[in-house]
Amino acid sequence: MKLVIDESRCKGCNLCVLVCPYGIFREGTELNSRGIVSPVLDRPERCTNCRLQALYGRMLCGICHMICPDQAISWVEEKPFEPHRVEVEF
Amino acid sequence: MSRVEFMQGNAACAEGALAAGCRFFGGYPITPSTEIAEAMARRLPKAGGVFISMEDELASIAAVIGAAWTGVRAMTATSGPGFSLMMENIGYAAMTETPCVIVNVQRGGPSTGQPTRAAQGDMLQCRFGSHGDYSIIALTPNSVQETFDLTAKAFDLADRFRVPTFLMTDEIVGHMRERVTIPDAVDITRSSPLAEGSLPFEAGDDGIPGFAPFGSGRAVHVTGLTHDERGYPDTTDPAAHDRLVRRLVAKVESARRAIADYEVTNPDAGTVFVTYGPPSRTVEQVMRDYPDDAVGHLRLRVVWPFPEFALHEFPNAETYIVPELNMGQVVREVERHVDQPVVPLGKIGGELHTPAELVRALEAHR
Amino acid sequence: MIAPDWLREDRLPHIYCTGCGNGTVINCTLAAVEEMGWKRDETVFVSGIGCSSRAPGYILTDSLHTTHGRALAFATGVKMARPEFNVVVFTGDGDLAAIGGNHFIHACRRNVDMTVVCMNNHIYGMTGGQGSPTTPPGAISTTTPYGMSEPAFDLAELAVAAGANYVARWTSYHVKELTKAITAGMRTPGFAFIEARTQCPTNYGRHNKLRTVPAMIEHIRSHAMLIEKRDRLVREGRPVPEDIFTIGELVRRNRPAMGVRR
Repeated sequence: MKLVIDESRCKGCNLCVLVCPYGIFREGTELNSRGIVSPVLDRPERCTNCRLQALYGRMLCGICHMICPDQAISWVEEKPFEPHRVEVEF
Repeated sequence: MSRVEFMQGNAACAEGALAAGCRFFGGYPITPSTEIAEAMARRLPKAGGVFISMEDELASIAAVIGAAWTGVRAMTATSGPGFSLMMENIGYAAMTETPCVIVNVQRGGPSTGQPTRAAQGDMLQCRFGSHGDYSIIALTPNSVQETFDLTAKAFDLADRFRVPTFLMTDEIVGHMRERVTIPDAVDITRSSPLAEGSLPFEAGDDGIPGFAPFGSGRAVHVTGLTHDERGYPDTTDPAAHDRLVRRLVAKVESARRAIADYEVTNPDAGTVFVTYGPPSRTVEQVMRDYPDDAVGHLRLRVVWPFPEFALHEFPNAETYIVPELNMGQVVREVERHVDQPVVPLGKIGGELHTPAELVRALEAHR
Repeated sequence: MIAPDWLREDRLPHIYCTGCGNGTVINCTLAAVEEMGWKRDETVFVSGIGCSSRAPGYILTDSLHTTHGRALAFATGVKMARPEFNVVVFTGDGDLAAIGGNHFIHACRRNVDMTVVCMNNHIYGMTGGQGSPTTPPGAISTTTPYGMSEPAFDLAELAVAAGANYVARWTSYHVKELTKAITAGMRTPGFAFIEARTQCPTNYGRHNKLRTVPAMIEHIRSHAMLIEKRDRLVREGRPVPEDIFTIGELVRRNRPAMGVRR
């Protein structure tokens, strides 16, 4: 699972920054196209829900998702890892 | 087999509502309408309906609108002061196109006024009482039988046009006891359902959207804010507001002929009485004393939307006389639509015009 | 977890200001709906007027956005006419306690089977931040420029006194507890009242030195005290701070209720 912030909904209140026990959200610095400074993700793979939701079959923690007043935080399925060829030119 | 009973107007109103399938009554006691609530409290639970005595008239009409959105036929009954309290939510019912029936057993006002006396002083309030532009339907019975018939009809009109519909009766008709014939069943016309693929507030040529009551799986958002065809608020677009409010008014006003219900007597007369509600009974008495065709009578059972074409059913009319139990309300509407002189004959204080008073007016203006 | 298919996605983002707690309360309510497993065509959301009352417009089910203060009366009509419906009312402190105060106590007294979620932000937010019946004494608002001089209503205690079957109070910071309380309210037959203290940084915080969202949240969190802790302090004869409010479940009982699904 992968944590995503829907930039079309986020209003930049930074409540997620306040509540995340893992410090995954950081206050952003750049205005997006809607004129809002959305938080940025810092190593989101540390999120328990990202890693363990599939294993436990239920939402773990999820405080950011619940408190986000703009319904902007959710998890999406990640594409499974696919090996692919990388050609390196010397 | 119909049955014949001797009952008062308010009881007949409750019977009419039950016959029309009304299964929800939210009300608050107020003289002189209380007998309607009492009759509904007795009869509704046995008919599988719900009677609830709300904390005030604001809540009564609110509960009625809430119940109406679940698809049941719902009504409330009140009188002047309670009617004034209901005004905001009546505007809400008009804006959200909620079919519901409001009975106003009119009494003398303003304010607490004359609780046990009759008046017709709320006729303009029922048409224009809530803020903003909208249109409604108002019926005016003049007998106990008509109270039964028009109450039942009010539910059909409310459903067909998706509009709050008023039964504007008064203390005289409400408390008068008369013979009334109650049929076993009355014909019922319900709202047309919301067509598959239509938006909840998307209307056809008649301006009336199909009705999708709660629980029909259409996830309808009902709001008193200016809304678009989806029902979503759209409060700043002038065109959206114009489109919505013009439709709300037009769906009723353009159907005036279909809604109209009136009686014409002596269409060749030169002097014409225009009445609604109980003053018509005095006029009928006077006409019995004037056996020639010199006196015409237009009796309105539907006052709003005003059937102005009915006034022109008297080609020889020279004078219109409008007796009403107020200081002149519906007479303004008559004045607007005819070129001949119009004589207002308002009477307040709680008593009907006497035949002598009408004869005096008749002699003076013939 | 919020049921995403219960949101009217085409209407988002909603009108709430940045950092408004109302969006959080919507999340908690929808999570409770998900927990209850309610069906969409048996659920009706009702609201009055105000910031809180815009919430049903973002929820994909039958919803009735009514006039100021009358939501509970409309909801009573819906529920009494069709007891098989699940009725949830969103309301605010101005809507519920001021203009709708009479409907509130009577709905509690009747104990009509519905769940009422009050987003109490201590202010009339939609009209720009005027003092409401829950504005704390001393607080600055546009109509109390010298500090609120009237005492405030304790809505949860009022609901208990008026006879509601379930009453709880949490805040928009306590999302898990709030969700559990709303779920418990939905399970309890009869009138369930859940007060959620929410932050209004735009209109309340701005005038009361709580300009930022974290500052407002911290203010609410630090002034909330569990009922059990308050009771312990009282038992032990220790002082209870004046400016705190209690959080937790105030009452769960089984008075006769109206409009319960047959």
